[in-house]
Amino acid sequence: MGITAKCAALGRLPVFYALKLIFSISRLQPLLIIAQKLLSGLMPMLQVLAVAKFIDSALAVAAKTAPVQAVLWPLGAIGAIMLYSQLAEKLVYFARVRLVNRLRARLGERLLEKYAELAWKNLENTETADLIARVMKEPEQRLISLFEQLTGAIALVITIVSLVSIIIAQAWWAGLIIVAVSTPLFWLAIKSGKANYEADRITTKYRRRYEYLGEVLAGRDAVDERTLFGYSGALNKVWKENFEIARKIIFRAQLIWFAKMKTGGLIASVVLLLIIFALLPAVVDKEISVGMFIALVNAVFSLVQRLTWELTWYVDEIIRGREYITDMMAFYKLEETAGAAAPPATNVPAFEKLEFLNVSFSYPGTERQILHQLSFAIERGKHYAFVGLNGAGKTTITKLITGLYNDFDGQILLNGRPIREYDQRQLKALCAVAWQDFARYQISFADNLYLGNVNTALSSETDSVAQALATLDLQDVVATLPDGMQTQLGKIREKGVDLSGGQWQRLALARFMLNPASLRILDEPTAALDPVSESNLYEKFEHISRGRSTIFISHRLGSTKLADHIFVIDNGSIAEEGSHDQLMEQAGIYYGLYESQRGWYQ
Amino acid sequence: MERNSNEARRSATGTFLTLIKIVLADAPVLFSIIFLSVGIVHGLSFAVTTPLMQRLFDSVEQAVISGSGVSGVVLAAFMMVLTIILCQVLNGFHNFLGNAYRLLLSGSMRGRINCKAARLSPILYENPDTLNLINQANEGANYAIDIFDASLSLTVFYLPYFVFMFIYLYLLEPVLAASLLLIFVPLALSQLVRHFAFAQLEDEIAPLRRENEYWRTCIGNKETRLLGAFGYFRSLFSQSLQLLNAATWRAEKQSGLAELAMQTLTLCGYISVIWLFVDALLKGRISVGAFAAVFASIDLMFAIMHEVVCGRIGGLARCFGPARNFMKFLDLQERGGICQTKDTSGIRLKNVSFSYPNAAIDSLQNVDLEIARGEIIAVVGENGAGKSTLVKLALGLYEPTAGVVEQAGLDTRVADMSSLFTGVSAVFQNFQRYKMTLQENVTVSSPQAADRAIEPLLGKTGLSADDNVFPSGNATMLSREFDGVELSGGQWQRVAIARGLYRAHDIIVLDEPTAAIDPVEEANLYRQFAAIAAGKTAIIVTHRLGSAKIADRIIVLDGGRVIETGTHDELIARNGKYAEMYSAQAKWYVKDNEKERATNGF
Repeated sequence: MGITAKCAALGRLPVFYALKLIFSISRLQPLLIIAQKLLSGLMPMLQVLAVAKFIDSALAVAAKTAPVQAVLWPLGAIGAIMLYSQLAEKLVYFARVRLVNRLRARLGERLLEKYAELAWKNLENTETADLIARVMKEPEQRLISLFEQLTGAIALVITIVSLVSIIIAQAWWAGLIIVAVSTPLFWLAIKSGKANYEADRITTKYRRRYEYLGEVLAGRDAVDERTLFGYSGALNKVWKENFEIARKIIFRAQLIWFAKMKTGGLIASVVLLLIIFALLPAVVDKEISVGMFIALVNAVFSLVQRLTWELTWYVDEIIRGREYITDMMAFYKLEETAGAAAPPATNVPAFEKLEFLNVSFSYPGTERQILHQLSFAIERGKHYAFVGLNGAGKTTITKLITGLYNDFDGQILLNGRPIREYDQRQLKALCAVAWQDFARYQISFADNLYLGNVNTALSSETDSVAQALATLDLQDVVATLPDGMQTQLGKIREKGVDLSGGQWQRLALARFMLNPASLRILDEPTAALDPVSESNLYEKFEHISRGRSTIFISHRLGSTKLADHIFVIDNGSIAEEGSHDQLMEQAGIYYGLYESQRGWYQ
Repeated sequence: MERNSNEARRSATGTFLTLIKIVLADAPVLFSIIFLSVGIVHGLSFAVTTPLMQRLFDSVEQAVISGSGVSGVVLAAFMMVLTIILCQVLNGFHNFLGNAYRLLLSGSMRGRINCKAARLSPILYENPDTLNLINQANEGANYAIDIFDASLSLTVFYLPYFVFMFIYLYLLEPVLAASLLLIFVPLALSQLVRHFAFAQLEDEIAPLRRENEYWRTCIGNKETRLLGAFGYFRSLFSQSLQLLNAATWRAEKQSGLAELAMQTLTLCGYISVIWLFVDALLKGRISVGAFAAVFASIDLMFAIMHEVVCGRIGGLARCFGPARNFMKFLDLQERGGICQTKDTSGIRLKNVSFSYPNAAIDSLQNVDLEIARGEIIAVVGENGAGKSTLVKLALGLYEPTAGVVEQAGLDTRVADMSSLFTGVSAVFQNFQRYKMTLQENVTVSSPQAADRAIEPLLGKTGLSADDNVFPSGNATMLSREFDGVELSGGQWQRVAIARGLYRAHDIIVLDEPTAAIDPVEEANLYRQFAAIAAGKTAIIVTHRLGSAKIADRIIVLDGGRVIETGTHDELIARNGKYAEMYSAQAKWYVKDNEKERATNGF
């Protein structure tokens, strides 16, 4: 294996990947932090030397074999070490803040770009959506803490190694004994730190369960049913059971955790004992000075406390950080869709024809087939409606037409070409969708509209804007807003104004109207409206969409009557199709649906 | 001013006393005693190390000077190391017990929260002030435990340690006891400065962080993707990151400089302490052993004092606010009432007005309504007309602001909740989707009689446990989060209907029970409702006016007032609001040849 290959292999290790990432974003600050940490790792050794010198000179002063001035320089050295230990970290802190800021900006943007390019299925799949959420949550904090734990752990190792080397320098055999005894013990301690996650994983299940029940028992959502049905007593017992199970698991796990953690401290205590006994004869024989002996015992004593908490903590945190980096690497490997983040293409031929040929589809990772051998054709300039029961796959059709999903079986032809040959830019330019869960962008009213056509500079003077506002009766709304079209909507920014549900909906539809795409899909954008408002809207849309190709998706049949051609979807395929009159004559599913709704109005 | 601060003090001590009472009631006695004793011994074991170390160093010095052999030294070394080992064991044990104790208390406090929530009136969840208290109760409980934990540690662990150290230092040389003060003052001062430096830091950064997070979610919206609006939100994202970074840098610089200054102060304290000891050593007032032992302990003393001043006491101030809110939550007025028996009358609203807490206008005004036993009433009206509020008053969930509501002869303001809700059931508009099994989802409405079969009801609502939707039959978990299945909106609604019907009832409320169900099934369900409700009092809230026809009487609400009542035919004949709404819906379902006649007809 060549050197470059070795480097590449190293780069695939999470920890090295993280370091590479940090250094690719900034050099000076991480180097400063490393330098400070490494130096601080050397401080205990320097302190031992200074303290030893000081005590020896103090003893000499006391025995009147040296002048008082002899204590001054060791005392000065102690002071300098103290100065460094107390202040260096605070000084480097500014470099750390800078580094975190840089990571936040650069890394945040890099991750965001990847996020925007991801294949849509990754955002809807629970597993990958969780992964994405984990990776994108404060990545700079995760990286910096991994970086600090790593450098901290290295500093701790430096401290230990440098102290041991002093001991070896004083009495090499004593040092060897210590190394021989403690190495396997420390290895054990580090090893056991890795086992801590297991208990956490087991309790998560119970914890989630009792957290959920707690929400039902005291949260706002369930208050009506909880009060009326009076189930709190019974449910609280179930809550208690789950809590107790989790508590007992945690109790046992923590007992083991603390025991393991403290083994480090116990080992260090034993090593301390070893050092004392190993060095004692040498001290009494005056091979080692009293000062050196005392200083070494002091240094090891202060290490005892640090080793128990810090060592375990470093191991835990580095493992956690490594898991984060592994997540990040997995995130970068997620499938992308070309052009997902780009604006719509500008030179796209108009919509002519869309054909589904025996299309079958199930969502990735699920077994249920949502679409089954679905075939239909849609032509330019007509109105189509898809009707069918809930869960019949109507919205899925929209997701396939817009290219959000493309792993279907069968063929989808757009203007005669397979849809997979189009990239997202072209599909965006070809079709516009008004979604049931339309966006409520917390930006200005004007921008909310203008996002409907990002390739054109729009203003309130533009005809299409004025027309959209008029069609959806939005002029009155604009008139009530404090800064007119420029008013910030929502609560994200100060002085934002919130719209009512119906106003948001009309705004979303106005945005939809501004979209220049030649195929328009209305995917139940009115589900939240009361029936009167809904019927008014559909009438308007029928009116303004003359000459364009439109698809209405709905389970309220009255409004779909306006369509030239109606597809009835049942179990993921077309059960019936034709005009309203034809379908009524057929007396099939559509007739049944329509009659049952009409039945209420006779 | 004087009174205010007195009050604040009183409530702080009051909070603390209530806390103690709760803990005494909930914590197991034996556990508490063990925990306290371990704490005391743990604190002392830390302190004892210093004199033992002094003894060791003194004996080493003695041995070197007098050449008296190592036996005295060996004993001293053994004692010191054994204490350190004991200290480590106790440290682990004490921390472990502390965690276990916290978890135990957390369980009992959360149990209290759950029980308390069951006794609250649902209207408290509509009041932003009380809702805030409720939502923060769990968090507040944790803070309360923090306070308890901190005060306990202060008294049983830190206090013994410092008392011992004080005595030890005082005995060495009275003036040395002052070093404790030299350690305490700089730390306390820096804590104060930190408090002021950090006060507005989070306030400034939090909104920026929220904004940045919001732009990211916009980019994850499918509408953004299809509009090609990534560029727009990316620049918002980057801008907010820059602002966030600038604000972070400003705040961190300010607090970093403050910290640096404070660290210098601490350093001065440190150096003064060392100077005290060096001086005492050089003047021969303390031995080299004592000096070295104290020198080794200074770090520990600083660390422990830091923990006390910055961690514990500094943390306390932060905890008191939320903890007081927890107490306030426990003190919230409960619904209460008298246990009464129902008669066989229906529901009567006499001149009832109702406004939500903090609302400027009444949601209902002067409503008079009498619903006879066995009558089916439909309530119709536009969004926001007060339909759901009306049924919640009729159920007795809310109490009227003015007027009287009588349900089966009980005044809803007088009777207690369990009397009121006996024989009453409902399907709410915001029905719950319990993350429980199918069986539990249905029987949860009837905790006293949850052992009846649910199959007949499932059948009536169009569900079947044998369906492949429910792989484990009635025991199927209805939540993907807990390894179960996910239902569609329509399926959930049927589960909610089955739940409402499962509860034994003479009075039932159905608030938009079919919003998510497709038309054919909807028609069937309404027929079922009519059959089930026979002989029972039923109130049905509906958007679909046609379905109101199954009612004996229709109530039309508009702006919180009852504007029309009567049968369907009567209301059509009156040609008012109802007729208007009805025709707007009905026109979609009128056969073409009837259209003209119908529009002229109204």
